Amino acid sequence: MKRLVLIPICFFALAVPLVVLANGVQGGFDQVVSSIESRYHVHADRIPLLGLVNFVARASTRDGVRGMHVAEIEDFNADVDGEELNKLVSAKLGSGWERVIRETSRKGADQTLIFMRPEGSRMGLFVLDLGGHEMDVVQMSVDPDHLSEKLGQYEHHVKD
Amino acid sequence: MKNRVAIWVLGLAGIALAVAPARAQNGLPMPSPVEKELAARASNVTEVTLGKNMLGFAAKFLDGKDKDEEATRHLIEGLDGIYVREYEFDKEGQYSAVDIEKLRTYFQSGGEWSSIVHEHDKRSGETTDVMMKMVNGQPHGLFVLDAEARELSIVLILGPVKMEDLSKLSGIGGLGVLGDIDADSHGNANRNKDKVKPPKAKTGGDE
Repeated sequence: MKRLVLIPICFFALAVPLVVLANGVQGGFDQVVSSIESRYHVHADRIPLLGLVNFVARASTRDGVRGMHVAEIEDFNADVDGEELNKLVSAKLGSGWERVIRETSRKGADQTLIFMRPEGSRMGLFVLDLGGHEMDVVQMSVDPDHLSEKLGQYEHHVKD
Repeated sequence: MKNRVAIWVLGLAGIALAVAPARAQNGLPMPSPVEKELAARASNVTEVTLGKNMLGFAAKFLDGKDKDEEATRHLIEGLDGIYVREYEFDKEGQYSAVDIEKLRTYFQSGGEWSSIVHEHDKRSGETTDVMMKMVNGQPHGLFVLDAEARELSIVLILGPVKMEDLSKLSGIGGLGVLGDIDADSHGNANRNKDKVKPPKAKTGGDE
């Protein structure tokens, strides 16, 4: 009898945290973009040949930048509540992401959200920018060491 | 034996549930209720929130090839968090002295805070407060509250930070005001004479 009671207790005890954690794991760039599309009744244009762009970006930055995702939404005419957009993105982006910068205007025309996530020795960056009637959504993985080295080269040129 | 297994399973489940919300807190304070009201009234709001993990990671962008950069990297890596809020308003009178006092009280709870700058311009009504958190006699946090007619800025830096290092952080978004504070504390002696008060410890709630 005791065994019969223990089985459901153990099942629920394991299932509840698994469900909680699983909710955090789901999500990502595509989910954010499709949620925005359905919420604001807009259509996002994906950049053609992004795989090639990714390859070039990766090679030219010596693996400083990789895993780029880009979506562009033109004719964004919907009214945006900054708090609602922030919640939607936070919920759909998935676990591990921390919002580091948010700029929002009350009238909703300008919104900027920047999220970061440690990815081993790399850093995940997610940027959403709404300006006027255009929204751009970008996600990428950057290597701070390689990228700062690359940026250092340009700084050197500027100083010259 | 079976009971012991069940206790272990329940214990692990409890830990897993407890860990889930803790991750979102990143050691920085949650926005105060006053901030939500201010955000609703503001025409533009800028928020910068960097927890210890993110600061540690961001520090990697500084390659530390020169002395200044190395010092800045060291400073950022040691911080527990940076919290910046800027509220811009369409017109004057969108916040009151009571709101300012509520913000001051909220952010200074926990630890001993010493006022190092308090400036109040009677004509414009602008106020600037700079407080330093002391832990075991060492500076372990900085709070800046700058209230102008149409703009309200809050900067909270947690972790070991010295006045002379502040200008190093001014490059980070929203922390430009820190360069001015550093200049004030070192430069213009006449202005300091009017502004800087002898440190007066305030004791807040629990650490």
